[in-house]
Amino acid sequence: MATQGTPSILFTNTQPQQGFRLLEIPPELEELFTSKDAPALELKSPSAALAHAVADASGQEYVNLCTPTQTYRIRQVMSSNSLHILRPSLGQISKADIKVVEDEAGETGTLNLPDEAVTAIAKCGSTLELHIPPGGFSAVPFLEKSLALYDRRVGDDDDGDVAMDESGEIGLVEIRNLRDQVCADIPVSAVQCETGWMEICAFVDERQKVCWRPSARMRVNVWKRMMEGALLQGIDLEKQFLVGDLWKSVLDDGDDSEPPFPRGLLEAVVRRLCVPDERPALADEIKWASFDKAEVTKWVGETYLAATAPTVSSAIGRSEFLRAWKDCLPESWRDEVALPKLPQGAYKSPDPTTVFYVEPSQRQQVSKASTASSATAAKAKTTRNWHELLKTQTRR
Amino acid sequence: MPSIQLHPRSTASSTAATDASCFPITNPLPQLLQTPSGLALLELQGTINLSEYEQDTSSDGSSESNAPSYETPIGKIMFPDYSSLNPDDTKWMKRAYLYVGRYQRMTGEVKKLLRPIAVLQKRAGSSEAEELEVVEIVRYKVFFKNRPEPVNDI
Repeated sequence: MATQGTPSILFTNTQPQQGFRLLEIPPELEELFTSKDAPALELKSPSAALAHAVADASGQEYVNLCTPTQTYRIRQVMSSNSLHILRPSLGQISKADIKVVEDEAGETGTLNLPDEAVTAIAKCGSTLELHIPPGGFSAVPFLEKSLALYDRRVGDDDDGDVAMDESGEIGLVEIRNLRDQVCADIPVSAVQCETGWMEICAFVDERQKVCWRPSARMRVNVWKRMMEGALLQGIDLEKQFLVGDLWKSVLDDGDDSEPPFPRGLLEAVVRRLCVPDERPALADEIKWASFDKAEVTKWVGETYLAATAPTVSSAIGRSEFLRAWKDCLPESWRDEVALPKLPQGAYKSPDPTTVFYVEPSQRQQVSKASTASSATAAKAKTTRNWHELLKTQTRR
Repeated sequence: MPSIQLHPRSTASSTAATDASCFPITNPLPQLLQTPSGLALLELQGTINLSEYEQDTSSDGSSESNAPSYETPIGKIMFPDYSSLNPDDTKWMKRAYLYVGRYQRMTGEVKKLLRPIAVLQKRAGSSEAEELEVVEIVRYKVFFKNRPEPVNDI
């Protein structure tokens, strides 16, 4: 008999229930999940040591959901309502039980078992929500904690890398594996890991098979050495050049002599400074490069300041700093140098004649605090709300 | 800390971890609420109280158990304004009934979710490393926000 009027659907509860989790997803994830070759995502949390070293603002344990390019913090939201997951019934209901809901499933035809039944197979008291904190996610703080600091004097031969020579250099695949091992413990997406890795010029020593992050002093020294080498060998750093040529220019004349630093470090610095559009993926070899003039100027100034005046007590004179900065750049780029070219908040002046370096982590706090306070001030001005007005007054 | 893989919905959607493939039953829900795997969401204020079984509703992995599954009838769901002849008209979404037993009724509606919900489940057959899988993406829910009211037997 054809169903007339309102069809009713028998609703049952299945035992045993199944385990499900409900994840609320933003549009971009919905797109990703429904795309044809949807990638597998990862739920990552930092290793215990890293979680301890890189304190989270909430101070709690957390899990991040990582797509290849993006990271989300997962938040469990409890609900007083219960969410049941339904599916069409398998029809394992005894006719006798039906009496609970229906007098007779007989001639009236209101119920047509089991075609018209749905059953609850799971109950969820909470959903998982995703969010991105205001500053986004960065791998840099984690990389800084998990990588050893590389800080050796150019020409230092004191590290007895005798055994290394026999093992020879490792290929791109192994370098990648070493890097992936580091990134496995870092709870952000692969792309953000790579960005952070490039940002701090981290590198894999192809002979010692170790991942490093170079100190600011080391980075400046590598840059200076590259400048000198390029000058001697006539490599024009303002145009496209072969990275292999630059590496050769850095080596001392004698073929047998130890390189001043691992090639991986030179490549890391070149990668950091080259024009973003031409920058190859970390997995690929960097063969050709051309430098981004503005980026180089900014980076050299910032790194030089970080190397020479990392704290208030070691602040250096402004003019001295500007002169040294200019000296670190190719002749024709010297005019680029000016304090405002440094990244915002990268330096502070304890008095009008000196400057010192401010760590990126400190900078953000400063800018956040200032914007927050100005925002509340602005709010207080526009609002007629008395407790808003009072709130700012008591703060002062 | 090992990371946990979260796999997208498998392209052979009917083989989702719910043993959805083994029922040739048509989905009685309105078209809008139907999903490839047959899963749908129903939200209630309060809970369905099945006292004797309550203990294992929250645990996961119970799906693994081999205990025969059985269904306990609770009531009936109705979409009084829905007509399968005119599925594009969405006015019917405004009204839904959930009868609990024969003498109580809750009134609710079908709502489009603000953000779609991915239904995740442990991937079957991955015992050594925990892996999750998106079994369905649900975009609507049947929502009963009101308390039950007494009604005559229908």
